[in-house]
Amino acid sequence: MSVRTAVVLAAGEGTRLRPLTHNRPKPMLVAANRPILEHVLDALVEAGIERLVLVVGYRRTRVQDHFGSSYRGVEIEYVVQHKQLGSGHALLQAADTVSEPMLVVNGDRLIEASSVSEVMTAFDDGSAAATMAVIEHANTSRYGVVSLDGTTVTEIIEKPETDEFRLINAGIYAFDETIFETISETPRRSGELALTDTISKLIDERAVRGCRIDGLWVDATYPWDLLSVASEVLERGRASERERSDGIWIDDDARVHEDATIRPPVAVGSNCEIGPGSVVGPNVALAANTTVGANVTLERSVVDADSRIGHASTLVDAVLGQDVHLGVGTVIPGGPGDVRIDREIHEDQPLGAVLADRVRVGGNVSFEPGTLVGTEAEIGGSCHVRDRIPEGAEVVR
Amino acid sequence: MCGIIGCIGRGDRTVETLVHGLEKLEYRGYDSAGIGVVGDGLSVSKTAGEIEALSQKLSEQSLAGTVGIGHTRWSTHGPPTDENAHPHQDCTGRVAVVHNGIIENYQELREELSAAGHRFSSDTDTEVVPHLIEDALDAGAQPEAAFRSAIDRIDGSYAIGALIEGTEALFAARNDSPLVIGLGLDADGDGSAEMTGDGPHFIASDVPAFRDYTARVIYLDDGEFARLDGGVSVTDSDGLPVEKSVETITWDAEETGKSGYDHYMLKEIHEQPRALRQCLSGRIDELGGAVDIEAVGDLSPSGVQFVACGTSYHAGLYAAQLFNQAGIPAQAFLASEYASSPPPVEDDLVVGITQSGETADTLSALREAANRGAETLAVTNTVGSTAARECDHALYIRSGPEIGVAATKTFAGQLAAVNLLSLATVEGGQTRRDVVPALRDLPGDIQHILDSSAASEVAEIYADSNAYFFIGRRYQFPVALEGALKLKEISYEHAEGFAAGELKHGPLALVTPNTPVFAIAIGDDDAARKTVGNIKEVEARGAPVVAVTDGRNDAAMYADYVLEVPETHPRAAALLANVQLQLLAYHIANDLGRPIDKPRNLAKSVTVE
Repeated sequence: MSVRTAVVLAAGEGTRLRPLTHNRPKPMLVAANRPILEHVLDALVEAGIERLVLVVGYRRTRVQDHFGSSYRGVEIEYVVQHKQLGSGHALLQAADTVSEPMLVVNGDRLIEASSVSEVMTAFDDGSAAATMAVIEHANTSRYGVVSLDGTTVTEIIEKPETDEFRLINAGIYAFDETIFETISETPRRSGELALTDTISKLIDERAVRGCRIDGLWVDATYPWDLLSVASEVLERGRASERERSDGIWIDDDARVHEDATIRPPVAVGSNCEIGPGSVVGPNVALAANTTVGANVTLERSVVDADSRIGHASTLVDAVLGQDVHLGVGTVIPGGPGDVRIDREIHEDQPLGAVLADRVRVGGNVSFEPGTLVGTEAEIGGSCHVRDRIPEGAEVVR
Repeated sequence: MCGIIGCIGRGDRTVETLVHGLEKLEYRGYDSAGIGVVGDGLSVSKTAGEIEALSQKLSEQSLAGTVGIGHTRWSTHGPPTDENAHPHQDCTGRVAVVHNGIIENYQELREELSAAGHRFSSDTDTEVVPHLIEDALDAGAQPEAAFRSAIDRIDGSYAIGALIEGTEALFAARNDSPLVIGLGLDADGDGSAEMTGDGPHFIASDVPAFRDYTARVIYLDDGEFARLDGGVSVTDSDGLPVEKSVETITWDAEETGKSGYDHYMLKEIHEQPRALRQCLSGRIDELGGAVDIEAVGDLSPSGVQFVACGTSYHAGLYAAQLFNQAGIPAQAFLASEYASSPPPVEDDLVVGITQSGETADTLSALREAANRGAETLAVTNTVGSTAARECDHALYIRSGPEIGVAATKTFAGQLAAVNLLSLATVEGGQTRRDVVPALRDLPGDIQHILDSSAASEVAEIYADSNAYFFIGRRYQFPVALEGALKLKEISYEHAEGFAAGELKHGPLALVTPNTPVFAIAIGDDDAARKTVGNIKEVEARGAPVVAVTDGRNDAAMYADYVLEVPETHPRAAALLANVQLQLLAYHIANDLGRPIDKPRNLAKSVTVE
């Protein structure tokens, strides 16, 4: 029987992406002006999925407000995971809604329709209890790694300490409806139910088929990853705005001054304004309703909706959240820089600065590479900012 | 109010299609419902109560037919009972009729028909119609002619659908009440889907009733008749064919789902950032400080009269302030009063504000103004609505479909639209440079409130109060009125809004420690300082105070709780304060367990006067 239903896990915050996830779950972070989750739903719809079940939790209204009751003509049903107790627990929330074989995907990673189709076909062909996508990846230590014997999965290990593995769990699965029972029977670890533990159980008790995929697969783990995710989307021509010329996508309602220069690839969302003398690109995505003043230089940066960039600002390697207002002459000169995430220092990362939602910046402020500024922080004029500025902080010179 | 639906060409899915349509129309009324179908014979099923009660009844009683009509009722003549539910029938059960509107001469028709031996089984005005049709049939008229002759006899407002036994056709007529025809099975509206001459075709009071099946519609005009059989033919009152244009609806049926929310109202509150983006899209230019709206660009009124009802009236009060500030005399009128006692219009522009574009009181006020030679403008959410078609100009607020009976996102859209109106017609360059950036910030600022509002906590604290008062000054005064109306509508609690300065002239006597006062204090100007003074008056009488403020004045110092809004231009702040009050009303009503999307006694678009 062919799979027609997909369950999408979109309830998690993505704590390593703080402060960008303060107001929204990780799947709603933007990849070239559209939420990552929207790209995921594209892949599912294009692969022929006819019913979407979204598991939502953390800041769930953001998902509901964006997608409403359907996406590209496919009905969406929402189920709520009130406490985020692991991916297995998230899937279990769909038990009362789904009673047929299903595809299960993570909502926070960019995937392609072809990968989804391959998993669906492999599941239909085989007699395995479950099918999962696996992909070669350079950085296996962040993910669950997988050992294969032919097409049979023999082992799955979360975040291994050795680097002898090449294949990782790509987060696309096909299960029959007995998966809910199997999850319920899986022992919890420190109160959480990980889907990979249930898959290990299936490997031991039944059989799990591995399906190798090699299409686009991009994950954002840290804030600076959003820059490469956007570049990847633009490089593959996946922008949603109208393509005006090669690599330049500008929405019909956007206003770009005739004396502005756009250097591809660039995506400009609806109702954006770009002032005279500005140079935008390469690798820039401006989401809806942002204003770029006059004589601004923007390079390798992503700017979320409703932000305002003052005249004569320079932004390189910058990640801006929603509704960020930058004064005249703001300077983010770009990476590499050292970034502090929790207690860890990530050295020489290609990051100018991350400014989370609703940060307000006065005129003539400069940022040292690798700076993270929390939501609603206010930075007074002529400051030089570095390291981390907590949420709501007020910085004066 | 009331909603009607009809369909032909749906085969054995006829009943299912009708019930689905009624569910989508439930916002127009929900105190009784019914359907009728023609198959081998004509059968009717109807009951007091919501659509669910009808579905229950239908599960026990199977109705078969290929042409059908349905109705969901908001009582005007006679209480909500099984007998008063539509469809209504003649003495012999050969005719079934659904009707939205009011038949003004029904009393004399009823007496005449009774004298001729007709037996009436309901208290409704509608029931005269099937009996009139019966009379004509008995006199030998063909079904269509019988229907036309019955309609010729009635005066008043109506959208009517009728079935006649033995006739595989649906008859419809319209006067002063909305009626749309849906064509074929073409949900994408691109003509690619099934578009055969055989239908199916639909009639309804409003597009959502059949939007799942087709996006292609014909808006019937007053005095027109339609016959739906294999095809659709529209004729005027003399029976001559009318060439109608087919229009394509641009929003999806899915926009009218609840998207994982418990109530449409909360969903629609959350849709405000998107609704405002749509409202403003392509109309403003921040860097250039310009506003460009084709529909009103050439107007330069020397005076403006706003006519509206309910929430829209509050938008009218706000709009009048904008024009007065700009030196153009302006006044807001309650439409029902305006129609009964119209002021002189001279060269004034008369602006009707109506979400649905079908509000009967507003339409009559606009017609009254037009009769006196005024230029008219409709500010509405509904393309193709009566107000939009009858007025000289139409400014669309582009909020998308609103289903919750309590207006939320469309009030925001109205406030944004009247800002565009005043900026585009009478306000100068400096005002535009100040206000346009603030309008452009609205979606982000409202998202800010949605992400961080403390309204649900405040609601929980005060959900058990005796009464609720709202005060505001200048742009915030209409918001105070609207905050109180929202709370009344959905919580059934007593709430009143006052101009802040008016409190001490009487209403202060109502204030006690068990009547929280919600005070809107924005900015640091004179108006804000005076409002803070009024807050102190209230606080001194022991009433709890909740300040809705941007923190630029001392309101928070005297308040028990604060609902914050981002700093912006005071004109834009009115929309932000309103979002906090919408959330407050929602959460109070929710804590009290009220049926938020279907408040008792109310309906969304009020198409009777």
